[in-house]
Amino acid sequence: MRKINDYTKSRDFFARAANVIPSGIYGHQGPAEGCYVPIEAFPFFSEKAKGSYIWDVDGNRFIDYMCAYGPNILGYNDPDVDEAAAKQREKGDCITFPSTKMIEFAELLVDTVASADWAFFAKNGNDVTTMAIMASRAYTKRKKIIFFKGYYHGVSPWTQKIDYSGIIEEDVCNNIYLDWNDFNAVEEAFEKYKGQIAAVISQPYMHGNFKDNEMPAKDFWQKVRKICTENGTVLVVDDVRAGFRMDIAGSDHYFGFEADLICFCKALANGYNVSALCGKEFLKSTVSGMSYTGSYWLSAVPFAAGIACINKLKKIDAPKILIEKGAKLKNGLIEAGKKYGYDLRVTGLESLFYLRIADDPTLMLHQEWIAECVKRGVFFTNHHNHFINASLTDEDIKETVEIADEAFSVIKNRHS
Amino acid sequence: MKDQKTLAYINMFAILGSIPKLCKECKEARDLIKDDKISLGFSVKNGPQATLVFDKGSCYMVEGVKKCNIKLCFSTCEKFNGMIDGTVTPIPRKGLLKVMFLLKKFMPLTDILSKYLRATEEDLKDKEFFNISTLVMFNVITEAMAQIGNHDRVGKASASYITDGNVKIEITGSESAYITAKDHILTAYHTTPDTFTSYMSFESIELARDLFDGKVNAVAAVGLGQVRVGGMISMVDNVNRILDRVSYYLA
Repeated sequence: MRKINDYTKSRDFFARAANVIPSGIYGHQGPAEGCYVPIEAFPFFSEKAKGSYIWDVDGNRFIDYMCAYGPNILGYNDPDVDEAAAKQREKGDCITFPSTKMIEFAELLVDTVASADWAFFAKNGNDVTTMAIMASRAYTKRKKIIFFKGYYHGVSPWTQKIDYSGIIEEDVCNNIYLDWNDFNAVEEAFEKYKGQIAAVISQPYMHGNFKDNEMPAKDFWQKVRKICTENGTVLVVDDVRAGFRMDIAGSDHYFGFEADLICFCKALANGYNVSALCGKEFLKSTVSGMSYTGSYWLSAVPFAAGIACINKLKKIDAPKILIEKGAKLKNGLIEAGKKYGYDLRVTGLESLFYLRIADDPTLMLHQEWIAECVKRGVFFTNHHNHFINASLTDEDIKETVEIADEAFSVIKNRHS
Repeated sequence: MKDQKTLAYINMFAILGSIPKLCKECKEARDLIKDDKISLGFSVKNGPQATLVFDKGSCYMVEGVKKCNIKLCFSTCEKFNGMIDGTVTPIPRKGLLKVMFLLKKFMPLTDILSKYLRATEEDLKDKEFFNISTLVMFNVITEAMAQIGNHDRVGKASASYITDGNVKIEITGSESAYITAKDHILTAYHTTPDTFTSYMSFESIELARDLFDGKVNAVAAVGLGQVRVGGMISMVDNVNRILDRVSYYLA
C-alpha cells in the first residue's frame, strides 16, 4: 500500500489565504469550484513543478493530469520554451513599443492554423472569446448569439447565465441556448431569429463538466458551417481548452471544417501568459476598427515562449503523441476498474479525457475513487476533463494505473 | 423589483409555513395554541392557497382551503404580502365569529415568529433563542428555495439546470431537509431523506447561522471544511444560486 499524503501546510496556508483573499483560492483552482470531495484528500498550494509532476507545499509529489487546467502541454518548465523566454526577458518584456516577436508569432500561427489569416493577441481565453463575440456583432450588426448547453467560454457577463451572481438580464438577453448536436434546434433558431444571429460559438466538442464528453454527430459541424455561411453568421470555435491537443492546425481542422474565428490560450505557450484570436481575412478590417487592448497584451516574453512552444509541438507532432499517451492511460484505467467490477467511462479525445465511474449515478463513488487516487499521488479532479502533456512517460502511466488500481481496491473493500 | 407572486408563495409556504416548526421548537408559541382546535385558510386569487391547522398545541399546514374554520381571502398577491408585512389587515370571510382567534392567537403567533426571524444580536446571545431562531430560519430558507425555484423567473432558470433527485441540506447533528427536483419542479421536505443524489452539510448550527446572516462565505467555508458538498455537485451549484435569491426576497 502506498503512503497517504499529508496536507498540513496546505491547510495552514489556506487559513491564511482565507483571511485576505475572497474565498481563499478563487475560481477553477479553488477547492469549491474544483470539486475537491472530500476536502481532506486534496492539496491546495504548489511548491514547484517539473515535466509531468507537481509538488505541493507539504512535499507531496503528484503525477499531474490537470496540467494547470491545460497550459502545460510540453511538460512544466520545458527547457526549449524556457530558454526562448529567458533570452527575450534579457532583451525586454513589457516595453513602450511591441517587440517584433509579435509579428513572428502571428506569422507562425497563420502558417500553422488552417483557418487563420491573421492573429490578435491578448492574455486569457476570456479576452479572445469576448473579442470574437464583439467582432461578430460589429461585423454583422446583429445581437444574438447561439451557445450549446454545457459550454464554457470564460467569465465575462455575456458568457454567464441570468442566475449567476452579478449578472443582469441585459447581459444575457441575446443568448440562445441549444442542446449540443441538435441540428434541428439550430435550424429552428435560425428560422425564428432570421437575420438576427451574429454568431454561433462552440467548443469543438462538448467537454462540459459533470457529464461524459460528447463528440460531434456525423456532419454536425459541416451542417452548422453551412447554415452560418448561408445566413451571414460568424462561426466561432472556442479552442481555448482543446487547442493543439487535437490538431496542430486547429480543432476545426480536426473535424473537417473552417471556423471564421478561432480562440486559443492554454497550450499556446506552455504556461506563458498569452492568448490569441485567429480569423478569416473578411473579419480583419472589422477587428482593426475595434477598441480592445490591455496593459500586458503586447509583452514580448510570452510571444517568444509561444513561438518556441508551437514550433516544438509541430516538431514532435504533439497531438498524435498526446492522443497515443492518453489512449494507453485510458486502457490501463478501464482495465483496473474492470478488475474490481467497476465501469469506468473515459470520454472525449484521449489527450483531454473525462472520467466517470458509471456504477453510481450520484457520482459519490466516483468522488471516493478520485480522492483515493489524489491521496496517493495522482492528481485527477472529479468533474472536469483532464489533460495529457508530452513529457508524460510510460513509467508515469504505469505508476498512475497502479495507484488507480489501489484506489479501486480501497473503495471496493469499503463498499463490500 | 420583487415578483409579488413569488413573494406570495414564499410568504405562504416559507413564512406562514414555518409556524408549525415554530410551534414545535418554541414553548411560548406552543402554549399560545394549546387549547385551540381550529383551521385557518388563506386564499390568494391567482396565487397560493393553504390552511394552517391548529390542534391543541401542534400545528401543520396543508395546501388548499377546502376545509377550514376561518378563511381569509385576498384579491391579489400584493394584498396577501401586505398582510405579512403588516400593512394590510385581514378580514375573515368565513367564520366571522372566530375573529377572536385571529386577534388573540394568530397575530401574537406571527409576532413570535417575527421575533425569531428578525432576531437582534442581543437576542441571539441567548443559546435557546439562538437555536430556535436558527432552526426556524433553516425551515424558512429551505422552503423559500423551492418556491423561488418554481415561481421566480431567475430561480426557474436555475431549476431548469437541476437534474432529478434529492439535494440533502443539513446542519450536522441537528437538522436536515431536502429538496426534491422532478422535471425541474422543486419540493422542499423538512426531514432527513432516505436517499439523496447530492448533499450540502454545515458543520454546526453556529456556522449555519453565520451563512444565513451573510457573515461567512460558503465558498471559503468549503475550503475550510466547514461546509461539505458531494454527489451530483451541479445540483448543489444550482440550488445555491437559488439560495442567493432568498435574501433578495426576504431581506
